[in-house]
Amino acid sequence: MSVVSYLARRAAQKERVRILYRRALKDTLNWAVHRHLFYPDADALRERFEANRNVEDIELIERMITAGEAAHDKWRHPDPYIVPWAPGGSKFCRNPTPPAGIEIVYNYGREDND
Amino acid sequence: MASALRSTILRHIRVPVSQTLTVTGSRLTAVRSMSSHDDHLDKQQVVDRVLDVIKCYPKVDPAKVTPDVHFQKDLGLDSLDSVEIVMALEEEFKLEIPDKEADKIDSCPLAIEYIYNHPMAS
Repeated sequence: MSVVSYLARRAAQKERVRILYRRALKDTLNWAVHRHLFYPDADALRERFEANRNVEDIELIERMITAGEAAHDKWRHPDPYIVPWAPGGSKFCRNPTPPAGIEIVYNYGREDND
Repeated sequence: MASALRSTILRHIRVPVSQTLTVTGSRLTAVRSMSSHDDHLDKQQVVDRVLDVIKCYPKVDPAKVTPDVHFQKDLGLDSLDSVEIVMALEEEFKLEIPDKEADKIDSCPLAIEYIYNHPMAS
């Protein structure tokens, strides 16, 4: 295997790990009822990632990431917190911007009476 | 490339701040924004709050934090630490950053740029 393809594959794996960590951390926050319960959980999650920090074998890393993603998929929160305006949030599309060119004149008719 | 394009687009779709005009002594709102979210952060506010968040991160030496540090090169963090910082920034500014975009944010200038240009940052 050439060096370039090796490095490309490693970069892709690193990105997958970062995204997996990000999603897992968000779900940790979703599962924790209080903030003070979240911190030890987050530390435990970080420990689980740190434990495999020095693994070098690329195939082994691949299998571990796949296993990690499967484990995370099983453990996902059924009702995660979503920022209200974001897709899936409680205020998503609640106040859509009116189409360009339409404006509301609030003082309509006032010029005749004054 | 995509982030540059995104920031250019976001810069052009700013919602105008509602203007007030004075008619016969009383203040009437001529243009009312359609949502309660009509005030945008100014740049200095974004910079200050981003720096505050980064300084509060336990592994960071607060003295080293300036608006143009790179998380991994200058602050000695690793990639998972920068994931945590981005998540802290999301919570600070009440944002939801898509995973792929959050992954690209690896330095202070990028974070400031992204948050400043985000229409929902508050």
